[in-house]
Amino acid sequence: MSDVQTPPGDIAARVRRLVEAFIETDLIRVRIERDGERIEVGRPPMRQDHAQVAEAVALAAEPVPVRNVELIKADLVGIFRLSRPAPVEGDLLEGDRELAYVEALGIRNPVRSRGAGRIAAILCKDGDAVDYGRPLFELDRG
Amino acid sequence: MLIANRGEIALRINRACQELGVKTVAIFSEADRESLHVRQADEAFCVGPGPVARSYLNIPNIISTALVTGCDAIHPGYGFMAENARFASICADHGIVFIGPKPEVIAAMGDKATAKRVMKEAGVATTPGTDILASVDEARKAASKIGYPVLIKATAGGGGKGMRVVERPEDLERSFHGASSEAEASFKDGRVYMEKLIRDPRHIEVQVLADEFGNVVHLGERDCSVQKPSHQKLIEEAPAPALSDKARRALHEMAIKACKHVKYSNAGTLEFLADGDNVYFMEMNTRIQVEHPVTEMVYSVDLVKEQIRIASGEKLGYAQSDLALRGHAIECRINAEDASNNFAPEAGTLTKVVFPGGPGIRVDTHVFSGAQVPPYYDSMIAKIVAFGATRDAAIARMERALRETVIEGVHTTIDECLVILATPEFRAGNYNIGFLPRLLETQAADAALAAAAVTA
Repeated sequence: MSDVQTPPGDIAARVRRLVEAFIETDLIRVRIERDGERIEVGRPPMRQDHAQVAEAVALAAEPVPVRNVELIKADLVGIFRLSRPAPVEGDLLEGDRELAYVEALGIRNPVRSRGAGRIAAILCKDGDAVDYGRPLFELDRG
Repeated sequence: MLIANRGEIALRINRACQELGVKTVAIFSEADRESLHVRQADEAFCVGPGPVARSYLNIPNIISTALVTGCDAIHPGYGFMAENARFASICADHGIVFIGPKPEVIAAMGDKATAKRVMKEAGVATTPGTDILASVDEARKAASKIGYPVLIKATAGGGGKGMRVVERPEDLERSFHGASSEAEASFKDGRVYMEKLIRDPRHIEVQVLADEFGNVVHLGERDCSVQKPSHQKLIEEAPAPALSDKARRALHEMAIKACKHVKYSNAGTLEFLADGDNVYFMEMNTRIQVEHPVTEMVYSVDLVKEQIRIASGEKLGYAQSDLALRGHAIECRINAEDASNNFAPEAGTLTKVVFPGGPGIRVDTHVFSGAQVPPYYDSMIAKIVAFGATRDAAIARMERALRETVIEGVHTTIDECLVILATPEFRAGNYNIGFLPRLLETQAADAALAAAAVTA
């Protein structure tokens, strides 16, 4: 969808594309100048000596504890609203709790945590229009 | 505007909107996430999983999408929400314009018996027939008046149940009781009526446009008699090749009279059965049709734009005398189907797709190399339309275009269309709805013979 829809003058989208391309390289700075515009993308230089590489390899070899992360998705189209008191990222949920609701055709359809866990991420903003299957919360079930 | 459809018609509507400067919202199912209509609309909302009942027929999610995106109107296309009077009135309840006629007109035309009665009132020719028959005697009298062969049909019938063809008077009594008792057993309603049997008719339909101020024009007729045994259309053309000018004029006048009588608005199609120059009203479709491009080609109109203009309250900007037919147009439906296996639909990945081009060719499609054909939806993947100054020129162009087309990954109807176009019957414009089923039988017999020869 992105390429077709992006107007050529949309700076934010162009920066995003540049960043995406940049991440895949190991460059530390890229600058594009054209028609009086300048976009520069960079990251702090990384010291990568042998010790570091060895450490990274060692870390990768160690078994990483598997977290059980679950996405709570919208099951209908409507406006996303956080329930009160508004949940925040990091909240620990002891059991099933209403986190938000999707308002559709004047009806509030609750979005529940369906069990205990920690809110790892809130993926939509209060007032966003959400469609079917849109991820709303990321819950860490431990 | 929200486009409540998928596939080529969603793209067709989106194109009309783009040209009119109307912003669009597409809806899609999870199976259509990568579809072209999703990419080309200004916004796109997923309304449910693949099966249509939970996505493209999901009224709450469709209406909710229109509301949260601030749409003023919904275009239903064909199929799905088109001709759903309840959906049209729900749109109205939410202040959304449904692009089509008023809900009560959709409902009236959706019921075959009501539609036939209303058309009769308007002076439109309907198949000669009777009301409910009280006795065999009454049936006998009616049949001799109508003329054999006749059909005895259960009023509650459907799917061929409670229906009998009567060829001769001596069979009438047995057929009357047979139809009645079968209907009684199946529908707990044994009432039957009679209609004249029109054997192997042609399917001819008239395109109309009507505004909300009572102005109605017709855009000629289309012949859609090349139909699969399932009665689905495969090839359509405009104008109809075998109709006298007198019958053609009468047909157009009937269509206009009918629209005025039912206070029709927006685009619509009246379907008729034609037996020589005798035409009988069959049903009215209160929507844009699959085969609308052949009419657009010969009348140089954009029917979808006209639908949008009419729905936004504009008057028709022209009279009947401003419309002139020019040339001839033919449409072939390219379906992901195996013509040699009863047109069984196929799903899968289209590994390679190349469409034709050049003068006089129009391709309405949503597929491309690498596209998926999901199993949930209609198997039509493209419509190829050829225009020519004459019918022969249009046929030659269509054959050229079909040969240029490459679709790999599924079987398609391309080869069958080429076979049909080459038959003397099609060339002469001398075909009816029995034509393709008979051609298929011949093909199957030839194939069996060839196979036997190989084995021997």
